[in-house]
Amino acid sequence: MKAIAFHRMKVYWPLYVMAIPGIIFLIVFKYIPLAGAVIAFKDYSVFKGFMDSPWVGFKHFETLLNHPDFARVFGNTLMLGFLKLVLVFPVPVLLALMINEIRKSALKKGIQTALYIPHFLSWVIVAGIVFDFFSLSGLFNIVLGWFDHEPVLAMQDSDYFRPVYVISSIWRDAGWGTVVYMAAISAIDPQLYESAMIDGASKFRQMRHITFPLLLPTVLVLFLLEIGNFLDLGFDQVFNLITPMTYNVGDILDTYVFRTGIQQAQYSFATAVGLFQSVIGFVLVYIFNRVSKKVSDGGLW
Amino acid sequence: MFESRSEKVFVSGITVILILLSAIAVIPLLSVIATSLSSKSAVDMNLVTLWPKQFTFDSWGYIIDRPDLWRAFFLTLGSTVIGTALALLMTALLAYPLSKTKSEFAWGGVIMVAVVIAMIFKAPIVPYFLTVRGIGLYNNPLVLIIPHILNPFNLIIMRTFFKQFSKELEEAALLEGCGYFRMLFQLVLPLSKAVLATLALFYGVLLWNQFQHPLFFLQNPDWFPLQIKIRQFITDDSVIMAGSASTADLNYNTRTLRAATVIFAIVPIILVYPFLQKYFVKGAMIGSVKG
Repeated sequence: MKAIAFHRMKVYWPLYVMAIPGIIFLIVFKYIPLAGAVIAFKDYSVFKGFMDSPWVGFKHFETLLNHPDFARVFGNTLMLGFLKLVLVFPVPVLLALMINEIRKSALKKGIQTALYIPHFLSWVIVAGIVFDFFSLSGLFNIVLGWFDHEPVLAMQDSDYFRPVYVISSIWRDAGWGTVVYMAAISAIDPQLYESAMIDGASKFRQMRHITFPLLLPTVLVLFLLEIGNFLDLGFDQVFNLITPMTYNVGDILDTYVFRTGIQQAQYSFATAVGLFQSVIGFVLVYIFNRVSKKVSDGGLW
Repeated sequence: MFESRSEKVFVSGITVILILLSAIAVIPLLSVIATSLSSKSAVDMNLVTLWPKQFTFDSWGYIIDRPDLWRAFFLTLGSTVIGTALALLMTALLAYPLSKTKSEFAWGGVIMVAVVIAMIFKAPIVPYFLTVRGIGLYNNPLVLIIPHILNPFNLIIMRTFFKQFSKELEEAALLEGCGYFRMLFQLVLPLSKAVLATLALFYGVLLWNQFQHPLFFLQNPDWFPLQIKIRQFITDDSVIMAGSASTADLNYNTRTLRAATVIFAIVPIILVYPFLQKYFVKGAMIGSVKG
């Protein structure tokens, strides 16, 4: 037995050597921070580290739940998460269904190119474009002027923050979101369409009764993943779109953690916020996964 | 194929909607380009919509003359190129053993589970921050590269690709006395150009657009990468106007300069866009088939 193992190692040792840098990376950048989440239950001190800082139980979670800021920030996060799920998530599905109906390949490619471009711009740049668009002499106010409407400073007005968040999400990522759905549509058996055409089914009926139902499992899987990221609204996006005047509706868990944890160095408290966020995300996925298994056969696991 | 009138109306209706949506996707970009190429007075008088008015390159010239912006540009270019190369190496080095059978690489199963767990459970940001700071990456420009050189999702894509290789070729090479390192670098990787291109773009876009790591970890303005610099330009008038000679008689204002800054940052993306589109779509499809 030992001899065989020895012989194996003689040939296979390079595979083990190759794996070592990657393993070290995973331990340092994924697992130590994951284990470091215990400081949510400790009073972290820089000198004592993750291990030796004293335990304090649920102290930080109690502070958190009694903190007026936290209720507001959590409410903002839930609201934006809900809007994203209801208004942003369905857009790529509809776009993919429509793009699929275009038969002229040059036109189709042109449309896809235009719709994909914004995805490759960072949120810093997208925010730059958004601020320019809504500035006093920007396109938005020029068009409002054509209708004799008073200029609106949308980026400095908390009533506009949520619409700006939703629209900028759609503008940047909805086009790109179609890629997965287009892949799923291209996997549909063409014979289904042929027999539907022989039966005289219109294009719309084909879309409704073939493409859409066969796309649903993919939609469901992505929906579940989206639920898991429900509270994960994108730090870059919100941080770059927010202004002091929109803090009351735009401040979310991610920006709150940045402020309290990184800038004000309340390490344990901010970790508690982060852990709370992860646990809620996990619970939501778990519940919706159970539901989707009941309703259909689909599910993540 | 026979198409009735209502069919044609349906398809052309969809076509019109999609063309409108494509226009909406591009209009904000056109508006920024127009602003960046217009004069201060035209912009102040609300004349600029989608086409430059009182055309001038003054804003572009001003932005191009800013050495701090170029410094950030080359820092970002360098960290993107080096980071992408390192990331491909790191990813290949782990993906290759993971594509082997249990008898060849016994740790495979455990590592795969660890990778998937790392993908599902994201550590809270603060312990991550403390860990990365703890290994000396705080205020260290290497933080622009090292935390990004292995991505679990990309690792799984590359492993899936390696798994499709024919066993015979590798077995023959093994019998010839070719070791696994030579096999990876001289046989497997040269045959993996498609997946390498895709992942190079995944890593490259991530590195080029990164904002959160430099924001959290870098304090010294000398090491600010492009995105942080651009944010300063866009949000801080004193930074963007720092290089202007006098306040009178200028043919630009903060708005045209901000627009020119945005264009400065977009141009490199547009230049590589044909590759982005081709390989990104492929990569996203591989990813979606797996996930």
